[in-house]
Formats: sequence, structure tokens, C-alpha cells
Amino acid sequence: MDLVQHLRYFIAVAEELHFGRAAARLHMSQPPLSQRIQRLERELGIRLFDRSPRQVTLTEAGRLLLPEAREILSRVEPILSLASRMNAATSTVLRAGVPPHLEGDSIAALLGAFRESSPHTALDLRESTTSAQHQALGSGELDIGVLQLPFLAAGLVIGPVVHRPLGVLVAADGPLAEPASELLLSDLGGHDLVTFPRPAAPARYDEILDTCARHGYHPPAVHEADGGSFTAGLVLSGTAVAFGPETAPPHTGVVWRRLAGQPLAERLAVTWPKEQPHSGTAAFARAVTQVLGSGHAPAPEPRSRPASDFLAIPHGVLDE
Amino acid sequence: MNEDLRHHLGSLFAGAGVTGCLHAIDLDNGREAGLGADTPVLMASAFKLPLVLALFRAADTGLADLAGQVRLEPGTRTSGPTGIGAMTGPVTMTLRDLAHQALSVSDNAAADAIADHIGLGALTATAEAAGMAATRIAEICRDVAARTAASLGTTDPAQLTRLLTDPAALSRLATLDLTASNRTTARDCTTLLAGIWKDTAASPGSCSAIRHLLSLQVWPHRLASGFPFDDVRVAGKTGTLPTVRNEIGVVEYPDGGRYAIAVFTRSAATALNLPRADAVIGTAARTAVEYLRRG
Repeated sequence: MDLVQHLRYFIAVAEELHFGRAAARLHMSQPPLSQRIQRLERELGIRLFDRSPRQVTLTEAGRLLLPEAREILSRVEPILSLASRMNAATSTVLRAGVPPHLEGDSIAALLGAFRESSPHTALDLRESTTSAQHQALGSGELDIGVLQLPFLAAGLVIGPVVHRPLGVLVAADGPLAEPASELLLSDLGGHDLVTFPRPAAPARYDEILDTCARHGYHPPAVHEADGGSFTAGLVLSGTAVAFGPETAPPHTGVVWRRLAGQPLAERLAVTWPKEQPHSGTAAFARAVTQVLGSGHAPAPEPRSRPASDFLAIPHGVLDE
Repeated sequence: MNEDLRHHLGSLFAGAGVTGCLHAIDLDNGREAGLGADTPVLMASAFKLPLVLALFRAADTGLADLAGQVRLEPGTRTSGPTGIGAMTGPVTMTLRDLAHQALSVSDNAAADAIADHIGLGALTATAEAAGMAATRIAEICRDVAARTAASLGTTDPAQLTRLLTDPAALSRLATLDLTASNRTTARDCTTLLAGIWKDTAASPGSCSAIRHLLSLQVWPHRLASGFPFDDVRVAGKTGTLPTVRNEIGVVEYPDGGRYAIAVFTRSAATALNLPRADAVIGTAARTAVEYLRRG
């Protein structure tokens, strides 16, 4: 028996001298209150109330117990309130964003890995585009995100970056699906491209199309699609291709082909605000790299030109 | 200010993969146009314009001799991608020609030599006198270089160049932190340019000389790219840091129209070569100027 709670019931009934009013004050119904008072009386081995159909009165024992019960509660309340404040401070919610195209099993694994490492932090995971996450991180509506690079990092910290090679989804009955070691971007010529809408991640969108152009793939048309089934439909028709990571193809009529040299490797960056990062930041970043790996894509070796006009590249950097 | 214009400018910047701040003013009737004109922005090498102005103001009052010669030794001068900063031997040059180098090719060695000659105090006093109320200038090129190396934790040239295009490294680059770097606003910069074009920022002779130096700038890819006309004069000063591309300048039309323009951009992409981000500075400036010219 929770003695403290039962003493609370006793005090309420003793003050109201009416089970109905006491129950209302305690936000409960009358029968359980009556049962609990009876239980308290059994536990203590004394009668606390004289009950008649018309009124309730305190017994002598009840009158003697009342001030003692109040004294006990007055000493217990501060302990309970302190404990509840400490609970509130340690159990928190981490609002985290992931990109819409992340695979379902990755999301499940991410939730599991985070729950295991941070049982006291509730993970509020939201599917959201890079642009929307970027905005939400800036306005404080999101604590951490997984965004497609590149994006403007002002005010943000870019933590671990996951590199994922992208291949091509092509129609299984089309010429691009014929067995060969790897595809080149220039092999895709003549096929339309299906991609996410530019506003979802503008700089990544531009990066993809610039890379295609550089490697000799100039899609006759670019279709912007939000959903996987529309993308799969256009690919199935044989007129279009789409880029994606190596996972199970979305449809039986679609196959995934590797791209030679990983020209389109996707970079997913765990990102959080520079000011006042959430206490769950490090654990979430670890969970992301644990689930998605960090990977490594061949990075281009930048060659600076004078017209870049960089203010003060450190001494010697341009002495080539 | 015209909402359509602001919307147009915003979509131009977004289409080029940047966020941008712009202010343009008709130097003769005071009409203005802009987007984020009072938003604090990183100044980068655009600080070399108030620096050269400070030198000419010092010369106006006899505190500096523009014909005086300065010797710059390779081991001690500031390095950079252009001008004396990229050379290998000792150079002796007049202060007037150092100003030419600092504005025409954004020479870091020349700029720091001028700053050492007149002192940082003269530079901040000049910015204040020029009406640049929201501007804070507290460092010169070699400070930026030192903070870049400290932020990235290396002085190895190859590694530094690689890190300057690495998004994660750039997110901790202190020189991109507005609160800790030379900063200004687009409006402050058009105020500065207006003073130089109206002969109020320094003596008329000095203002005229600075206008000439600005017209000798070699870069064609930003502001000038928006005005591909032989009879339009473009005089400007660029500023560049990783993801930062700026230019401030004045465009003069054959009919006498004169417009001061300041454009500051930040790109999402970290690549060194982003021709669309450079070109949108010219396109946005042209859009604003045409708006002002429609009257």
C-alpha cells in the first residue's frame, strides 16, 4: 500500500466529511475512494470514520490521526516535487529530421540505435527535405538533422558526413539493364532523368545536373517527382532513369546499376545549430554513422585560380 | 521599395544557388532598390576600398606621402593569390601604386602594407566618417590567414586547399563567423561609394584617383558581367571567401546615369568554381539598375 497516497485520501474525506465531494476534489470517482479508505482502516486496524446514510463523521482515532497525517504530507511534498523536477530535466525530446528518400530499414535501425544509447531521450523523428530541415534548424523547430550536402552552413555545425554511392535505376527490359560491369553517365544519353524537385535541396539538385553535364549526360527532359512510385513508373516505361543508392529496386521491372567512379556520391551531413546544441546531439550523430556508416567518396583535388580572389588563403597555399 | 523587384532578385539568387543581399542607389536622384540592404554581411576583400580611402585621406591631411616608397620583403609580407602577394622577390613600390595593386587585383601584400603604414585606427575612423554605421573593420589580410589556419588546424598547403572546399571544415571556419570578422551591409557600401563619387569622402583629387583605381579592376566575372556594353563604365571591388562572393561598385551609363551597387552572396555549394554564383552578382545588379532607370 502506498501509505502517503492513502493518507491524502484520508485527509480529503476528513476535511469534506463527504465521500462524493472528497472524490471530486481528488479527481476520482466515489467507489474507489471508499475502497481505499477501507483499505487504510484495515491496514491501521482502526476505524477512521463513522458512516451513516446521511453523514460521515471522524472517529476519535480519526481526529487524533488527522494532524499527524497532515504533518507527514507536508514533509513528503517537497521530496516529491524535487524528484519530479529532476525527472523533467533529464527526460527530454530530441526533434530530428531525416531526408524523405532514406530507406525504411535505415530509419527503423536509427530509431533502435538511438533508443538503445539514450533510453531517457524520446526521439521525435521527422521526414523532411534538406531545405525544410535547414529552415527548421535556423528557427529552432528542429534540434538536429540529416541533410543533403551542399547547403549553406552559416550558424550550423556540420558533424559526421555519410557518403553513399549512387547508381542508376533503369528499366529491367531496356538496353541499359543488359549485363555489363558498370554504367557511365554518358551511357544514359537519350533517357529523361527523374529527380527530386529542386526546391527540396537546390544546391544538391544543381550539383547532380552539373555532374551529369560534365560527364556527357544531357537529359532531354528532367522530371521532378516527390514520390517513389511516380519515379518507378517513369523508369518502368523505359524513357527515363533515376539515381539512387544500392537498395532493393522499388519495382520488379526496375534494376539498379552501378555507376563507374561514383561521380554522384551523395553526402548526408548530420547537422545541428552552433548555439546551444541539444544534449542528445552526440548520441544521435553516433546512431546515424552506426546505421548508415560513414563511407568515403573520392573527393576532387581543388586547384585554386587567381580569379577565386580568396581573401588570405594562408601563406604558401598558392605557391605551386 | 518595389515588392516585384525584391521577389525578382530573390528568385535570381535562389536560381544561382546563393542567398544574396543587394542595395543599389541612383547617385543623382537618390532613388534606391534593394533586398536585405541592412543585413550584416561578411566584407572579405571589399574592406580594401575603405582601406585605400583611408590612405588617400591621410595623404589629404599630410599624414601620408603617396609618392613615398615602401619595401616589401618576401618572408615578412602577407601572401595571396595575386600581385605582390604571389611574387617571390623583394618589391619596392610607392604607396600610390600599392593602392593600385590592392584595388585592381586585390593584392593582399599591398593591402596589408598600406594598413601597416596608416594604422588600423585610421581605417576604422574612415569607415565611420564615410557613414558606414553598421560596419566593423577589425582585421587585415594576415589576420584572416592566421585565423583560417587556426580554425582548420593545419598549415599544410595541400590540406588547407582541400579543407577550404570541405563543408564540415567550413562550418567551423572562424573567418566565416559574422560576429568575429570584418562585416558591413550593402547599404553601408553604397553609402561609401556615393561619398567617393560625390567627392565628399575625401578631397576631390583623392576621390577621382580612387574612382580611377576601381575602374582598373581586372575581374570581369561578377558585377561587370551584368553590363556587357562598351559604353558603360564599371568600377568595382570584389570580395571572396569560401562560399562568399561579393562585389561593390559603380556603373556609369553614357547618358550620365550613375548607380552605386553592393551585392553580397553566400553559396550553398563549397566548390571554388561557381560561375553561376559569380554571374548572378552582375545579373542582380543589372536588374536593380534597370529598375532605377525606369524611374
